[in-house]
Amino acid sequence: MMSWMNIELNLLILLPAFSAPIILILDRINEKLRKIFVILSASLSLYFVTALFFANFTDIKKGSFFLQYTFDYFGGPFIINFSMDNLSLFFSLLISMAVFLIIIYSTSYIKYNKAKYYALFFLVAASIQGSVLTADLFTMYLFIEGITVFTTPLISFKKTEKTTEAAMQYLYYGIIGGVFFFISIILIYFNLGTLKIAETALGFSEISGPMQLTIIIFFLLSLIIKLGIFPIHFWLPKAHSACPAPVSALLSGVLLKVYLYIFMRIFWTMISFDYLIELHISTFIMDLALVSSLLGHIFALQEDDFKKMLAYSSIGHIGMILAVLMLNNQAAFYGAMLHIAAHLMMKSGLFLSSGYLLRTAGSHHIDELEGIGHKNRITFGAFVIICLGTIGMPPLLGFVSKWYILLAFLKGKHFFAALVTVLGSLIALFYYLRYISKAYAEVSPELKSASWSADFAELLHFLKGDQLMSTIVYVFTLLIIFFGFSFQYFDMPVNTAIIELLNPQKYIDLVLGG
Amino acid sequence: MFINAVFIILFLLGFYALIVKKNLIKMVIGLNLMEAAVFFWVISFSDIGGEVAIHKLNEAAVNFNDPVPQALTLTGIVIGASTAALLLTLIIELNKFTDTIDRDEIEGLNN
Repeated sequence: MMSWMNIELNLLILLPAFSAPIILILDRINEKLRKIFVILSASLSLYFVTALFFANFTDIKKGSFFLQYTFDYFGGPFIINFSMDNLSLFFSLLISMAVFLIIIYSTSYIKYNKAKYYALFFLVAASIQGSVLTADLFTMYLFIEGITVFTTPLISFKKTEKTTEAAMQYLYYGIIGGVFFFISIILIYFNLGTLKIAETALGFSEISGPMQLTIIIFFLLSLIIKLGIFPIHFWLPKAHSACPAPVSALLSGVLLKVYLYIFMRIFWTMISFDYLIELHISTFIMDLALVSSLLGHIFALQEDDFKKMLAYSSIGHIGMILAVLMLNNQAAFYGAMLHIAAHLMMKSGLFLSSGYLLRTAGSHHIDELEGIGHKNRITFGAFVIICLGTIGMPPLLGFVSKWYILLAFLKGKHFFAALVTVLGSLIALFYYLRYISKAYAEVSPELKSASWSADFAELLHFLKGDQLMSTIVYVFTLLIIFFGFSFQYFDMPVNTAIIELLNPQKYIDLVLGG
Repeated sequence: MFINAVFIILFLLGFYALIVKKNLIKMVIGLNLMEAAVFFWVISFSDIGGEVAIHKLNEAAVNFNDPVPQALTLTGIVIGASTAALLLTLIIELNKFTDTIDRDEIEGLNN
């Protein structure tokens, strides 16, 4: 029977999902109405998550927060099951915030095919929320496939040869990853007769050894493809650099974190992490992730295309987060969670500012960026601050998270990993400096903007159409500076999210009990 | 045994087409063959010789096939069809720019 308990969980998924067709219809009627509806729907999604957060604030603080929605079809075997614990709440909050800001940015960035763009964007947002909230493997598979299918047209949105190739390669690897995921869940179903994450977690030890290994390997293959870890990473820079700037921010800033969340859900909650240690897979993944991290930074060093450089740097950061997660202790989780939040803000901010710089420079090639620092001083200043955060300069947020990751590696006596973290930051310093020095190169005076006072006067019009883009970049910059000084605000949500990773039994009991 | 043999042959055939063939459309066919192999295996493996369909289930009937793998496969087929359609559209788009569907002649697809 249909239950009315916690039905608001569905809203997080259904609101963006139903917004998509409504946007397409409204666009036929009145363009202004569509514009208002897009912003309304995006802000409502953000409002629901924050409202959930504040309504359950005391529970979250105690670490006992849990919401579940079940819909069973008249007692049949088919059950829709969404659940939200501290871990999913943390990701849900971050994602809704980023998606909201990116949509506001898009309203002034996207100039054509707007209705189609927003419809696809909301469908991706719905799939993302779905894959974070689901408590069921098959629904998770559906939402992952949804993400792949709906992002592909967004990547080839500009319809040039380059974007079409990138979208095609992205879709190929997405489908192969999906097939591996499907094989894994079907093996679980044949062995245990269930697809609920909690029930699978209970019964996983009853499966025979070789079958356990097969299931783990297929899950790993699927997620390594989706995360762009070293041997299968080459589709990522192409796909993340071909699309419009807001979509790049979504792919690199938000989507990679969602796959990290799925990784945690599967390998900590569902399959106990002890299996990975026992089968010596965790050390293997850690080495692979570290190699991937180092290679990502090195590739970024030799890249002349601005957005491709950012995408390679994403590979470097994701490899580092995955490596630190493999340590499987509280300090490591703390660093990883903090860096997930930091990287989400920094990469989204960098990609969005790359879109703004494209407007003035006309190209993403390093030679075209000459003198751009003089032309729009304030925006480029914000961009430089985000770059410094990504490199890991104190007192910005990127420094704090990298510091905790480094501490976790040193505490675990993984000196090679610590070396890779430091080396990655050093290499990052060089490749960002290449672009920044180019941007501040001396140019003829007529190319410079008039005066500082005129620049600041423009700041006052921050809500006007064209200024909206730079305003969003400033918002990300301020967030990075603010949380750099006061990262203690992350303590509570991060620490409660870590409880879920350290103690998966809690999630299992709550899902099956309630 | 027979089921597993057919599954492996179909899967490897699809994998071969995906890796070796240079024609982009043949690659799509290979991908779909791989998916079809998985679906075939799932359906055959879950078939225990059921007598009645699940919606006509009554107390007299004792033997019926598990409907969940069938539901999974149906959904999988729908997803496979939509992704294949999307891939073919992208190939048509690409053909407009490059006048070829040979993987080796399109620079952006070679690493």
